[in-house]
Amino acid sequence: MAVCAAIIGKDNSPKYFTCLNPDEELGFQYKVLSSLDVIEEKLNSGNKSVSDTRELYLGMLYSLEKHKIYGYVSNTKIKFIIVIDSTNTSLRDNEIRSMFRKLHSIYADNVCNPFYIPDEPITSKSFDKSVKHIISGI
Amino acid sequence: MRSSVSYILSTTTSEPNMSHPDYEQFSHDHAALLILVKQIGSCLKTKTFNKFYERISKVNTVKITDSTGQVRNILIRYIKEHPVENNDWGDFQTHRRLLGLISLGRYDSQQELNEICRVHESLKVKYTSTLFDSRCILFGVNDEREYPSDNSSPEEESSSSSKLSVDEPVSEPKESDSKPRDKFTTPTNFKARAIFYNEADPCTDLENQLNEFINSLFWVLESKRLERSREKIERVSLLLAPFEKKDFVGLDMDSRNNKKRCNGRMTKHLGDLYLQAGLLSESLGYYHSAVETLKSVNDWLWLGAAYEGLCAASALVWYPNIQRNVSLHRNASLPEGSPKRSNSISTPMENTKRDIINMLPPDEISKRYREAIIHYSKYQNAGIIETEASFKAARISVEQNHSLQAASFLQNVVFINLTLSEQEKIQRFETLSDLYMEIGFIRKAAFCQRLAATRHVSPQNPTPNWNKCYSLILQSFPGHKISLDPTEMSTIHSPCGWPSLQIQLLQELVVASKRMGHSALATRHMTFLLQTMWQHLSSSEQKEFAIQLQSLSSQCEGAPVPLVLDTGIVIPPANLSNVPICSGFNLRSLQPHLQPRKIETFKRDLGPFLFTPIKFGTLERSSSKPQSKMDFLWVENDVCEVTLKLVNPLPFELKVSNMRLLTSGVVFESIPETVVLPSDTPTSLTLNGTPKESGELEIQGYSTHTLGVKSNCRLRCMPNFLPCYSIEVIPVLPTMEIKTSLPQSATFSSFQNFENVVTSASISLYNGESTECTITLTNNSHVPIEMLEVSIQSVLELSLQDQIFKWSQENLESQLPLMPNGTASLTLYLYSAANFLAAGYGPNELSSGVFGSSHGSSLMSMSAGPSSLPSRLNSPIYSAMGSSFHGTRRNELNSSFRSSNSGQSSMTTTGYRSPGALILPQHAASTVVEGQLQLRYSGGAGLRAGYCRSSSIFITLEMLPSLQVTNWDVLPAETSSQFYLVLDIANMTSQEMELYYTPTKHMLIEGHESCRVPVPVNRCPLSKLTKLYMDQNSGMNNRLDLDKICSDHIANLVDLRWQLLSLNTRGKATLKGITLTPNMLDIVRMSPLNWEVSVNGDFLKPQEEINCDAGDCLSVRISICNSLEKPLQHLILSIQFYQDHRNGTHNYRLETRVVIIGCAKKILPVLEPQSKAWHACNVLFLTPGQYKMDIQCSTSDALSTNQPILGPCGHSWRYIPAVDVNVHI
Repeated sequence: MAVCAAIIGKDNSPKYFTCLNPDEELGFQYKVLSSLDVIEEKLNSGNKSVSDTRELYLGMLYSLEKHKIYGYVSNTKIKFIIVIDSTNTSLRDNEIRSMFRKLHSIYADNVCNPFYIPDEPITSKSFDKSVKHIISGI
Repeated sequence: MRSSVSYILSTTTSEPNMSHPDYEQFSHDHAALLILVKQIGSCLKTKTFNKFYERISKVNTVKITDSTGQVRNILIRYIKEHPVENNDWGDFQTHRRLLGLISLGRYDSQQELNEICRVHESLKVKYTSTLFDSRCILFGVNDEREYPSDNSSPEEESSSSSKLSVDEPVSEPKESDSKPRDKFTTPTNFKARAIFYNEADPCTDLENQLNEFINSLFWVLESKRLERSREKIERVSLLLAPFEKKDFVGLDMDSRNNKKRCNGRMTKHLGDLYLQAGLLSESLGYYHSAVETLKSVNDWLWLGAAYEGLCAASALVWYPNIQRNVSLHRNASLPEGSPKRSNSISTPMENTKRDIINMLPPDEISKRYREAIIHYSKYQNAGIIETEASFKAARISVEQNHSLQAASFLQNVVFINLTLSEQEKIQRFETLSDLYMEIGFIRKAAFCQRLAATRHVSPQNPTPNWNKCYSLILQSFPGHKISLDPTEMSTIHSPCGWPSLQIQLLQELVVASKRMGHSALATRHMTFLLQTMWQHLSSSEQKEFAIQLQSLSSQCEGAPVPLVLDTGIVIPPANLSNVPICSGFNLRSLQPHLQPRKIETFKRDLGPFLFTPIKFGTLERSSSKPQSKMDFLWVENDVCEVTLKLVNPLPFELKVSNMRLLTSGVVFESIPETVVLPSDTPTSLTLNGTPKESGELEIQGYSTHTLGVKSNCRLRCMPNFLPCYSIEVIPVLPTMEIKTSLPQSATFSSFQNFENVVTSASISLYNGESTECTITLTNNSHVPIEMLEVSIQSVLELSLQDQIFKWSQENLESQLPLMPNGTASLTLYLYSAANFLAAGYGPNELSSGVFGSSHGSSLMSMSAGPSSLPSRLNSPIYSAMGSSFHGTRRNELNSSFRSSNSGQSSMTTTGYRSPGALILPQHAASTVVEGQLQLRYSGGAGLRAGYCRSSSIFITLEMLPSLQVTNWDVLPAETSSQFYLVLDIANMTSQEMELYYTPTKHMLIEGHESCRVPVPVNRCPLSKLTKLYMDQNSGMNNRLDLDKICSDHIANLVDLRWQLLSLNTRGKATLKGITLTPNMLDIVRMSPLNWEVSVNGDFLKPQEEINCDAGDCLSVRISICNSLEKPLQHLILSIQFYQDHRNGTHNYRLETRVVIIGCAKKILPVLEPQSKAWHACNVLFLTPGQYKMDIQCSTSDALSTNQPILGPCGHSWRYIPAVDVNVHI
């Protein structure tokens, strides 16, 4: 079960942010923002070695005392970030990977919505609902 | 990376802990000699100290040739602070030992000198366990000469070896030895080598002194190294880290395991010493074997240290040029303690790299470091060692360009649980952020900076420092994509930063600046927050921040000027353009009557089409764009307006004061405005200002003062506006106030463009009445009016307009120039000009006298009535038809119509007074004439620039009907020089009217009644007509001209004046435009023939009757004289008798009653001018009765068919009046 999920646009501006405990949102935003550095670094170095068959899932970006931050980048440089509690050992890499895939697919669905302007922050309620659904792991 | 066994292995922290981490360490520092540079005494300025520190720091590597002739490369590290506890770790890692001491001091007196020496000595005592040597650099007062201290005292144990082996001569003492010592001496217990300098001296030998000092240190170290390396490896005592002392109490020191441990630790220690002494490959060997030994005994801490040594030595080989990056310390906020030395380890070592055995390849270095850190982490007390190792490893990774690896080392730092002072924690974060910055992790760096900032002011911090907190937050801005310039923030392509974080940071910045006591900054940042983050704030936040801003600005008002901080950072101005929001910005043209106009307007050639409704919008899409250049003009010194539409987005009332326009270009004086904006309601506001020069004016925006902040809201920084508006300002023009003596009109009709109407006047006049209107012009400007043009505009016909409105331009011009505050008056004469002739019929209509006027035309003999009565009103329609066929060309059809109608006419026109109701023409109602009196005026510079202003007076003139000539006819008068114009005059008013129709005659007409008056008029003299007779070929026009001449003639002579007795108004009526039929014309104008008729030899007088008896023979002789100036041709002179039945019928069939003896007709082929012709015949009346003799002379159209129809040639003249002949029995 993740505690926080974020979708970040290709210019690194936030598109969507949610966390289970709204009071901690600001703190999570700081953490997610600083994890972008790692993503960028990984993207830069990743492109050098592997050409285009890039793995979207970046794995753990870094771990903090209480949380672990995982990243996933779409081919259009949309970044997905999930923060999980480090005490939670039940989540394995595969589960996180599938969580990202679900997130990616609902994001793609949302972009298909003609009323959504790409690159705008996502405010759709149903999107929010389904993301919450995914991160709470039901 | 951290192992969880750390808590198991480490004891509680009662042990002396190395509590002062040195975050600045590089792995290269393992090889360096540590020297403390200390400022002592209060006299030395910090600036001077820093200058010298810089200088000393440059000597960071020294090449020393050892006893075997090998050149050693010795690194030196200078520090400013060294806690003595750190020396305790000197056994663990020898580079932590403080080996040298340099103290700098300045003295002015002996007392101060003593004090400096005392402090130096005490420092020596403090570090006595590790110190090899010391120097004391003393700066004397200016007149003081430098002199050396005579007692140089190297440290105790090293004195013998180092002193002897100094291979470079000491240069300083020579020259100053001989000099007598001045008043100051060092105290006798001062046993350090002192170097004396004058403060102003260049101190040229400082570097040499340092070299010498480092040499002395090296030799001591070298001796220690040799001493250690000679020790029997089996005998060595166990080296201990400070916290380990307890652990080994009671252990079997002689166990094999322990022996190995001792051995390994010593090997590692030797590696350290070799490294410091510049023997890299040897040290690598020692480290390598130490690793093997220590691994086997599970001595994790020392194994870690051995790994670290191995890494450090390898890194020194691989990357000799790692340098402390000076640019890292661009932040002036960094603590003083951070040494700013630059390593210049520049010895090329490429050739040796491969030769050295045991050396780690680059990839291995970070792996080994990782291992070392893991081993360290097993001991809680080694936290600082671990932290430092992490930093060192990270720096190597940076050098290797492995950002992620560096990041993971740095990330590890955060986990290390240390009991540190707040200051050290802050330093840790700052170092972290610097390193993150170096690997390009700006967000992470910003995150650390923010953490450091919060640490500075955390409640745990005993000495909160808001200044540092402030500057750290400021430094973290780039990482959060905040630019301090609001324009950069607003001109974003897309919002890149994270708004909620940015808001929080800005809020923290506001708090920090407030706590710093810099309220101007707080206001500035709050303004910035409101301005740039507006769209990301919820409405409650907007309100909250606005209120906060208000309270902040009550301490210090915000002004749109850049703020310069002490650190040199410039905070650009922040302008509030969101409070209030401007949704409309329009420049206003001047009021129409003040708008400048070109005096001369050149007509542009627009091609053959004057106007086209087709707009080529699709082709010229660009033209529909809003233009920044205004198409109207402003005038210097005139108040000009710009209208703004403002919306207050805040939920409370907002007072915006001091609103002005921001302009560039010509000087513009803006008048401040204050407005109170209700919440969320668009409010329009007009900003006024006066341009003080002529030229191009640019309006760039407006300034506000709201919530205590002065802002310059520039349009180019605001969305949806053009960057600026420009407008042409023309030179000064006068203004004029206009008043009229007449009352203002109540309403205007929609007549032309009355936009520049400044006043109005209205009056009612009876037709024919005239009055005066005085227009007073006052120059209320400071410019004389030099030009004034008056013109009238109306929809009236030009001639009529000139009749109604008259003024004297000359009189007006004589009053120019009109000085400031001067007054001129213009008299406007108003005349109610109307067509007094019954209106409603065109001027070409031949309107009267068609039927009854003829005195018995031969063709109409049957229907001829009593004649000469106005008949027009009876048959207006038919008269129109008939008139066009009037003359000799009547056809039968028309005549039959006429006959029936003329019968009617004779019935109705019996009396001289007829009831008004029947007569009043339909155009009796009053008419309103509207006109604009346009005054174009100019003066001063504006006139020379070709501009003027135009004001208008709207004049409403109601023209009431007074009298009307409903009908007219002409009658021959008693004398041939005159005729009677008979007019039916209707009084259209309800008052009694007195009519003066000749100078002597007058008549009263009741309201709404009409009467008939005869007006004697002189006949139109031939002299007026000669031209027409001369020119025979102009046909129809001649006829019209004749008409006109005659009608003018009548109009000029007939003077009808009326007076309304009750109102005492009088007026004049004119018969202008009266139309006459050809028959009437004959009467009106003088006959071209002079008649002389004699009966029985007596000349007949006008109006004379002839009396005779039946059977009498009358001899009639007629002579005619041509008074024209041309010959008349083909004349037929005829005589005819008829009887008038006085009922409209003339009886020409008198064959049984009258006999004419002789010819009744005579043909005159030509009658020369002024020549006479005569004809005579006799007449015999057979029966008594009343007869009339009609004598006429006509041109024969039978003979001259080619003559114009209506010319004088196809015409007949009569002798009028017809002669009455009474025949008695």
